Amino acid sequence: MAGMKTASGDYIDSSWELRVFVGEEDPEAESVTLRVTGESHIGGVLLKIVEQINRKQDWSDHAIWWEQKRQWLLQTHWTLDKYGILADARLFFGPQHRPVILRLPNRRALRLRASFSQPLFQAVAAICRLLSIRHPEELSLLRAPEKKEKKKKEKEPEEELYDLSKVVLAGGVAPALFRGMPAHFSDSAQTEACYHMLSRPQPPPDPLLLQRLPRPSSLSDKTQLHSRWLDSSRCLMQQGIKAGDALWLRFKYYSFFDLDPKTDPVRLTQLYEQARWDLLLEEIDCTEEEMMVFAALQYHINKLSQSGEVGEPAGTDPGLDDLDVALSNLEVKLEGSAPTDVLDSLTTIPELKDHLRIFRPRKLTLKGYRQHWVVFKETTLSYYKSQDEAPGDPIQQLNLKGCEVVPDVNVSGQKFCIKLLVPSPEGMSEIYLRCQDQYARWMAGCRLASKGRTMADSSYTSEVQAILAFLSLQRTGSGGPGNHPHGPDASAEGLNPYGLVAPRFQRKFKAKQLTPRILEAHQNVAQLSLAEAQLRFIQAWQSLPDFGISYVMVRFKGSRKDEILGIANNRLIRIDLAVGDVVKTWRFSNMRQWNVNWDIRQVAIEFDEHINVAFSCVSASCRIVHEYIGGYIFLSTRERARGEELDEDLFLQLTGGHEAF
Amino acid sequence: MGESSEDIDQMFSTLLGEMDLLTQSLGVDTLPPPDPNPPRAEFNYSVGFKDLNESLNALEDQDLDALMADLVADISEAEQRTIQAQKESLQNQHHSASLQASIFSGAASLGYGTNVAATGISQYEDDLPPPPADPVLDLPLPPPPPEPLSQEEEEAQAKADKIKLALEKLKEAKVKKLVVKVHMNDNSTKSLMVDERQLARDVLDNLFEKTHCDCNVDWCLYEIYPELQIERFFEDHENVVEVLSDWTRDTENKILFLEKEEKYAVFKNPQNFYLDNRGKKESKETNEKMNAKNKESLLEESFCGTSIIVPELEGALYLKEDGKKSWKRRYFLLRASGIYYVPKGKTKTSRDLACFIQFENVNIYYGTQHKMKYKAPTDYCFVLKHPQIQKESQYIKYLCCDDTRTLNQWVMGIRIAKYGKTLYDNYQRAVAKAGLASRWTNLGTVNAAAPAQPSTGPKTGTTQPNGQIPQATHSVSAVLQEAQRHAETSKDKKPALGNHHDPAVPRAPHAPKSSLPPPPPVRRSSDTSGSPATPLKAKGTGGGGLPAARARARPRPRLRQAAPRGGQEASCAPQEAREPRAPRRSRRRGARFHVRPHESFAKEERQRVLGTGMMSVPEGEASLTPSAGFASRLP
Repeated sequence: MAGMKTASGDYIDSSWELRVFVGEEDPEAESVTLRVTGESHIGGVLLKIVEQINRKQDWSDHAIWWEQKRQWLLQTHWTLDKYGILADARLFFGPQHRPVILRLPNRRALRLRASFSQPLFQAVAAICRLLSIRHPEELSLLRAPEKKEKKKKEKEPEEELYDLSKVVLAGGVAPALFRGMPAHFSDSAQTEACYHMLSRPQPPPDPLLLQRLPRPSSLSDKTQLHSRWLDSSRCLMQQGIKAGDALWLRFKYYSFFDLDPKTDPVRLTQLYEQARWDLLLEEIDCTEEEMMVFAALQYHINKLSQSGEVGEPAGTDPGLDDLDVALSNLEVKLEGSAPTDVLDSLTTIPELKDHLRIFRPRKLTLKGYRQHWVVFKETTLSYYKSQDEAPGDPIQQLNLKGCEVVPDVNVSGQKFCIKLLVPSPEGMSEIYLRCQDQYARWMAGCRLASKGRTMADSSYTSEVQAILAFLSLQRTGSGGPGNHPHGPDASAEGLNPYGLVAPRFQRKFKAKQLTPRILEAHQNVAQLSLAEAQLRFIQAWQSLPDFGISYVMVRFKGSRKDEILGIANNRLIRIDLAVGDVVKTWRFSNMRQWNVNWDIRQVAIEFDEHINVAFSCVSASCRIVHEYIGGYIFLSTRERARGEELDEDLFLQLTGGHEAF
Repeated sequence: MGESSEDIDQMFSTLLGEMDLLTQSLGVDTLPPPDPNPPRAEFNYSVGFKDLNESLNALEDQDLDALMADLVADISEAEQRTIQAQKESLQNQHHSASLQASIFSGAASLGYGTNVAATGISQYEDDLPPPPADPVLDLPLPPPPPEPLSQEEEEAQAKADKIKLALEKLKEAKVKKLVVKVHMNDNSTKSLMVDERQLARDVLDNLFEKTHCDCNVDWCLYEIYPELQIERFFEDHENVVEVLSDWTRDTENKILFLEKEEKYAVFKNPQNFYLDNRGKKESKETNEKMNAKNKESLLEESFCGTSIIVPELEGALYLKEDGKKSWKRRYFLLRASGIYYVPKGKTKTSRDLACFIQFENVNIYYGTQHKMKYKAPTDYCFVLKHPQIQKESQYIKYLCCDDTRTLNQWVMGIRIAKYGKTLYDNYQRAVAKAGLASRWTNLGTVNAAAPAQPSTGPKTGTTQPNGQIPQATHSVSAVLQEAQRHAETSKDKKPALGNHHDPAVPRAPHAPKSSLPPPPPVRRSSDTSGSPATPLKAKGTGGGGLPAARARARPRPRLRQAAPRGGQEASCAPQEAREPRAPRRSRRRGARFHVRPHESFAKEERQRVLGTGMMSVPEGEASLTPSAGFASRLP
């Protein structure tokens, strides 16, 4: 073989035989043999191959893959000599775009064709364009974790696989909107369903499934995920990905540029889903109070996205039937009162009057609830000994503006109480109202009054409805042990509070404890639209102290034990592996340069004032750390004025490097 | 006692029910029990329960003058508007609305004292409004004459304007006004009229005009509760009347107008709050060193992202136990969702934390001399309470820090968590205001700097809606007002900012927009009162010696690709500074620092959101261009 390498003079006249396999890498693939010279251009070779195959087909996506060198021959004007190809080269003539199974941030699987020949950065950009996610630079692909075969087989058949592999996008142009979705989704019912899957939040997961899914139990567990990122500067083929492989699409860099609910439905939804799973799988920790807000937002988002579906009453549940009846009653009432007189409806403020039982906790009293005649007008609550005394002086009058309203409800126990904490110059006065079926209306009134609004406010109706809906949630959710047949039903409808919180809260609280707390948190978000609620969720997620930190296990130079390096969008954090305490923080803004020594897998960083840090990477390759740092630097250079145009060269420059040779 | 006073309270509320409807005022229940002999001299503001005369008597002479000026201005303003809106029959009931409104408080107080609330009101309604309005109504004045153009569109436009005006008046008729006595730092007081819609920012602006202070961002309205020994500054976006309505009638609370550098400390030295949590020894020195560029990027990062970043704060604080004078030391953590503490025997991981308090319903106050009053371990205390609570109560939370620095960090941290981006917006408005003011002082001293301005300024200067007669020279004040108007109109383009009480709007028909002079040049600086030459200097010295030097010494960032003996090495230098006018091609190559002048803190749309705090700036931006208009800078 060595004798063949003088490719200079001898072969100008003479030609030699080049064997090319047709199709994807497969030893039994058909092959064609061509006569070529060293000076033949790749383009010419391609033409000859197609001629030889002699089959009518669209070959435009095909190119030659050189197996030994793990390289595509994409420069059609280069000669074989320039590539250094000799007769022993194993070449495959195959498509550049191949199907992969993409696991989206919302955990759904999607089949589509991805580029196997472009650098991953471009391939991801193309995928994102297809999915209509802006700012693809924030996302990347991970290898799917290896699964234990047994478990996989159980789950597989249920799963629905969306397919976008037939969809081809015209290059360059941003897809136009058609019927409220990018035009390429409106081709068929399947693609339309696929767009709905992408742009609408998924229902809460089955709590049982949630408990089974793996969760990180320590910081070192959290490093596992980050060892699986693919290399942005090389193509999928070079990284050993085969057609039909499963890959994960995730937001990799936690620096979300210009998040706009109006133009970004898919991006917003997928980001919300990633945040939600982050929280549910305890990838990121939060406090109990924060979890309740997250749960309330999820509940709200789910409710809105469900109601957006075309005709979906699904009323098998008696609780829901009751609710429907109650709602229609309510509607009748409201409609009846509305059109009487415009002026009248504008000026008269609706009021509530009823017999309620009231309890005022005081020191050293054992008095329980006592019945009173209660009148609720504007934002003021007055109560009287009896209805007859109503025109006279009330026993007490409370202005609920600025007060705290806490529901104290137990549906199975038929207890519907409203706890009011009313501020006054002297402090807070506490009062409990015990209602029956009037609960939702009084509760809604109290909530509005606490915000300084009256029941004439337009949001009153929706508030009442939200409360009724939530009561029904509790009805199904708090089935209790004796009522177990209800359990699966409830989870199927996504109304189980356990599907909204991380498993550790499932262990800590009973469902009936959880529901009122979620209800309480829900009252603050009940008025949000779907996009607003998702944005709020993302913002709350971003506000968590541990947000956006990617963990890698490293060993610092001079240290004898492994430590954790946290990489965030503005800083590097050295974290003690055992305790989890932050040892030191370095900000990127103080960074002068970083160097990677690929041989000894060491990253060395120089900061201002001659601070030098060096570490070797343990859990992930140092390429991943390098790419993270470079990626964040790149993201920080984005400018609003430039819009979505990407400086790909800069990105590859900052994150590549080891490929230069 | 509590019970009976509530009864009386409620009796009055029924009496005042009708009146309340009209004034849309404080809400019946906040009316405190009646006090037969209110101690006049100690009243710091009159909410309007007293006789108007009485409250006026309580004022000092110069206050009266100022008040009169306010009132006169209101009347003249009202007249002007009536002239414009004369054809609108709808308005007849509401003309001179502001006058009416301004007297409402007096009306209310009459009713309060004499059991004839309803009649008192109707009397005022019937008697008072007509005089200024009627004569005016008969005058055939402006709107019709300038109709030579008389295209239908214009008529429609005019009509729309009138309707708008009418609506505005309808609203105004219900606006409540308070006379607020503000204590100045020289122990004098000033009384001003604050209407229901005014935010602390507006009141500050008003005070700036009255006092001719330097208008810097540190000026604030400050409320003091002598009884609880707590105090806090009004946030600029807070509604003043709303806050005051939580005070009881016989309160000793005061409002001060003073400079507090704590107010916006985080925006001047963000590193003290964001980068201070670990290793105190070294941080103290590095703090001072942070240059303007890094500060700015830190602020961008913390306040301009999708969600704001609350400073990471944690540490042991003393907590006063409910109802006792003993203090317990606990480990507290600040999160965006509230203050948490570490329960006994637990770790400080998120899952173990217990919630101490959330911020929705509480305000934060500084505690003064709580060492004396409550036996606090130190005098660095802060207090969290519901704004309506005015007396000692178990619902007030007292916390105590080890030193001032920690105290300020906690107070600021809590404010950031509570108010979020609003705080930053407030700051930017304050800076814009201060920038205008320093421009004005420049004009006063160096008049030649902008020779064109005085001549183009409109002559309407003296009829400023507030009726303030500026004491500076006329031309200068005209410029100032013009500048202010520009600031306001440009602010109006921002949603939800400054859309209240904009004096320029009602007069719009008289002064078409095209005739407005070019906006005055503006300094973006917050803290300089230097000569116009400063910008140039700032450009040269940039972000301080060290980084600037580094910027020039080091090459642009790039990937250094060497084929070393040992192994292949790639290196990337993240950031370098460039000369501002570097050609575009080279700019695109690398991430880069840019040296920005120290005083370019004012927000502008050209700033970029940069995740890692790297700055990149388009050509030429670094120089402060004095000729650029203010309005064009605001989105």
